[in-house]
Amino acid sequence: MKKLFDRVWDGTDQMVELAEKALAETIAELGESAPAVMPNTAYNLSCYMAWLGKEIATLGDLKAAFAEAKAMNVHEPRLGNVFEAGKATFLAAETIEACRYAKDPDPYKGEYHGHLTDAEVRALGVPLVTGDIPGFVVIVDPAPSDDAAVELVKGYQSRGIYVFLLGGIIDQLKSKNFAMGIGVRVVPVGPDPWQVCHVITVVHRAAMIFGAVKPGDVEAFDDYSFKRIFAFVNAFAPVRDIVVGCGAGAIAMGFPVITNDEKDMWPVPKSLLIQPDVDAFIDTSLEARDIKIKITNIDIPVAFSSAFEGEIVRKSDMQVDVDGSKFDTFELCRSRDVQDIEDHKIELIGPDFDKFDAGSAIGMGIIVEVGGKDMQTDFEPVFERNFHYFINCIEGAMHTGQRDVLRVRLNKDAYAAGFRAKHFGEVLYAKVKSEYEAIVDKCQVTIITDPDTLAKERAEAKKIYDKRDERLGSLTDESVDIFYNCILCQSFSPSHVCIVTPERLGLCGAVSWLDAKATHQLDPNGPCQVVTKERVIDEKVGLWEDVNENVSKYSHGNLERVSLYSIMVDPMTSCGCFECICGIEPLTQGVVIVNREHGGMTPIGMSFPDMASMTGGGVQTPGFMGHGKQFISSLKFMKTEGGPARIVWMPKDLKELVGAKLNASAKALYGIDDFTDMIADETVTEDPEELLAYITEKGHPVLTMDALV
Amino acid sequence: MSFTKSPQVFSSKVTEIEIGTGSEAVRLGGENTLPLYSFDADTKNPPLVGIDFSDKGPDTDIPGVAAFFAGADTLGAVAKRASEAEGASFVCFSLNSADPNGDDEAVDVSVAKCKEVADAVTKPLVIQGSGNAEKDAELLGAVAEALSGKNVLLMSAVEDNYKGIAVGAVLAYGQKIAAESAVDINLAKQLNVMIGQQGVSSDSYVMHVGNAAAGYGFEYVASAMERIRGAGLSQNDDMLQAPILTPLAADAWSVKESIAPEEDFPEWGPAEERGINMEVSTAMACLASGSNAVILKHPESVKTVAALVGELV
Repeated sequence: MKKLFDRVWDGTDQMVELAEKALAETIAELGESAPAVMPNTAYNLSCYMAWLGKEIATLGDLKAAFAEAKAMNVHEPRLGNVFEAGKATFLAAETIEACRYAKDPDPYKGEYHGHLTDAEVRALGVPLVTGDIPGFVVIVDPAPSDDAAVELVKGYQSRGIYVFLLGGIIDQLKSKNFAMGIGVRVVPVGPDPWQVCHVITVVHRAAMIFGAVKPGDVEAFDDYSFKRIFAFVNAFAPVRDIVVGCGAGAIAMGFPVITNDEKDMWPVPKSLLIQPDVDAFIDTSLEARDIKIKITNIDIPVAFSSAFEGEIVRKSDMQVDVDGSKFDTFELCRSRDVQDIEDHKIELIGPDFDKFDAGSAIGMGIIVEVGGKDMQTDFEPVFERNFHYFINCIEGAMHTGQRDVLRVRLNKDAYAAGFRAKHFGEVLYAKVKSEYEAIVDKCQVTIITDPDTLAKERAEAKKIYDKRDERLGSLTDESVDIFYNCILCQSFSPSHVCIVTPERLGLCGAVSWLDAKATHQLDPNGPCQVVTKERVIDEKVGLWEDVNENVSKYSHGNLERVSLYSIMVDPMTSCGCFECICGIEPLTQGVVIVNREHGGMTPIGMSFPDMASMTGGGVQTPGFMGHGKQFISSLKFMKTEGGPARIVWMPKDLKELVGAKLNASAKALYGIDDFTDMIADETVTEDPEELLAYITEKGHPVLTMDALV
Repeated sequence: MSFTKSPQVFSSKVTEIEIGTGSEAVRLGGENTLPLYSFDADTKNPPLVGIDFSDKGPDTDIPGVAAFFAGADTLGAVAKRASEAEGASFVCFSLNSADPNGDDEAVDVSVAKCKEVADAVTKPLVIQGSGNAEKDAELLGAVAEALSGKNVLLMSAVEDNYKGIAVGAVLAYGQKIAAESAVDINLAKQLNVMIGQQGVSSDSYVMHVGNAAAGYGFEYVASAMERIRGAGLSQNDDMLQAPILTPLAADAWSVKESIAPEEDFPEWGPAEERGINMEVSTAMACLASGSNAVILKHPESVKTVAALVGELV
């Protein structure tokens, strides 16, 4: 077998030889002083400009510079030499084309596109740099069949990928009357490998125009093409050595080559991929170059909009009733290896909706599998929780519940419009891919209606839910290296910053540590930023130097210190959207907690709105603090002041909501059983004296604790 | 005891950016003091006033505006007249006809208008798009190309279209842009960060952080501007140091105090005078809060605000 390095060098030698010949002939014909310029560009012969820092005006200039290009073709088996040889191939290719244009400024007469003008580069460059065009492909030589050629190019077109064509594939498309041209983003560049220089110059000019890269700064060009230009090559078998030489140049620029040629071809991870199946070229290529395709439309027969979010499907109007109280139901998001996922595969296991009588109750399971290099198991529940919202946005569908107790209804109009089980998959696929674009590379959905599979998969799902709960339970402030902040509310509460930790969710109740983590990953410049916790001041009070610095920075200097576990020492501020407020009750030296929904009075003589006016707006009021409902049962709740044993009064509804978890925490912390029974509520009293009498009678632990104030 | 002056000067400063070319080019920003605090240190580039006119022609409903532009019957003539307004340092041309929810004028027609205006004036030019994010991405890119070399400022890049405008106008054609956000320091910063990530350097964009007419929720505007300036100067937040440019004619001339006819409120006095007062008050409030430039409609307002700035700085 011929070695890859040798193939590259042979290819480079061939191109250099052709260039040498072309240059000698052209100079003999026109003389050295004749211009060697491409039409309508301020960046003439950009390979020479970019890699050698040469401004070329005449054939004489080109001759001198070509000597330097040839010197780059060193046949020593080092990776760097192969890349240099690859670039030399492009320089030689540009030399050949420069000679051609020197003889005739319009050598292709419309048959091929050849050189692109600066205006064309700018028009292509803007969407390329902004990501509106996700990338471009250079397809070299004929596909195995004319139809395969059409299929491949159409596939790229439908994904918004810009296509450049070289060699025989152009004739294949012509024979199929396939429309080509700049307008349809399929450009027939030229018949031979050396016209590849017209594509390479697009990259160089983009770097100089959009990236302000200076001619001759080779490193900056390499960096720009690797980081900003999402290009790749598809080369069809048999791949000639001269194309291999060009391929080395492409790889040197950061552009992977995908081929179906298995003969004398050596796969190089991420750079040279052998994919014998031409139908899989697109997926292999996009994955190799990390290109994500934006999903813009959802393929369903009814409308999709947040306007339908609150829509209710009544019994009389119901075609399908997925009923978790009678049948197996579940929804599950799980991560898998990217290789194991077939993107956009929607599978239905079991009968479709048209096999059931109108209005009958059924079971249904939904499994959404996602993969991507930044995907983490921790994001599964974050995505899954939004299935509710995604499904509710379907016109004619309603979704309630979560995990393995669901109620999903579809109305008769949606069914009549053709909505079937797989359309739930379409919606979830499109939404998961677009909402979590930064994380999810591939996604497939399975919908299950078959009772046996359903029972089996539901049991599997339950194991995953249990594992998640275990993970949540073990997730403590001590077990993580970083917290997150959240400044979502700063638009109306400019100086407030939430510090979100595993054991202390945002005071709105809507942002847990995992949510904040996912938010940060999805939108690195967004409202949730990393807060380090390396320099402890006092772990009991929850004071860190880094946390203070972060709060000071993000409150723009309004707050200097914030404690995470105390309501007396620098308590965390509130925006105004707190679920609950707790405040000191002086007589018992405990605290009362009141939730937003509670309309009545509290034993401290203040209602929720009264307390809210002292607590919101980003100010610190020691003795008062806004917080989320789930924080009440946290082991970090008022840890400094002795923990949840300080709670002496809560509205009954709130007690019922958090009771089980609070009892568990009290048992763990103090060994007290049924702690919530010791806490008074509005049915007991709203009077401080009576409150004291009540908790004394109950033997409430606060009575033995040190005074708060 | 004698009074000892202790100037409040910051080690950071507002980024300086230039619009226009030649001797009439103007510079915004550059100061290291609080707004209008010229007694603390040299303001470097005093705040500027621009005059706005629409591609639909001058606002003839306002007698003073109509009189000022009388006889200017081509866009070029209107532009030239505007550029001669006393106190105007730059001209702002608004492409109102391009709005897809209105006349939805074709991009090439709008571009031709911009060229006519650009050819008629030597003062720096600000172009306001249609206000529709999607349309502006296309429109402002085309304008940037057509006015290549003029160093114009294009308004506005917003969250929904900043990529195309940042790349298409600044990187491709070297123009300046305004990053527009809605009265929120974090949104303003986020947009600046994202524009920077496209490769746009800090001397290529200004901020338009939102506006309201004085008395109509202006405290939010004042607070946002004040906090942005504070973060840029006292905390050296380099993502919030861009100069602020505030177009306010539309807000000032749409509130009841400016447009209610005198017959309905005789005790309020002449409508036009009230409108000018509203425009001047709003403009001065913006400048005091941190704007480096304001864009006004009435030539009398332009003259008054420029004179006030001249006295203060």
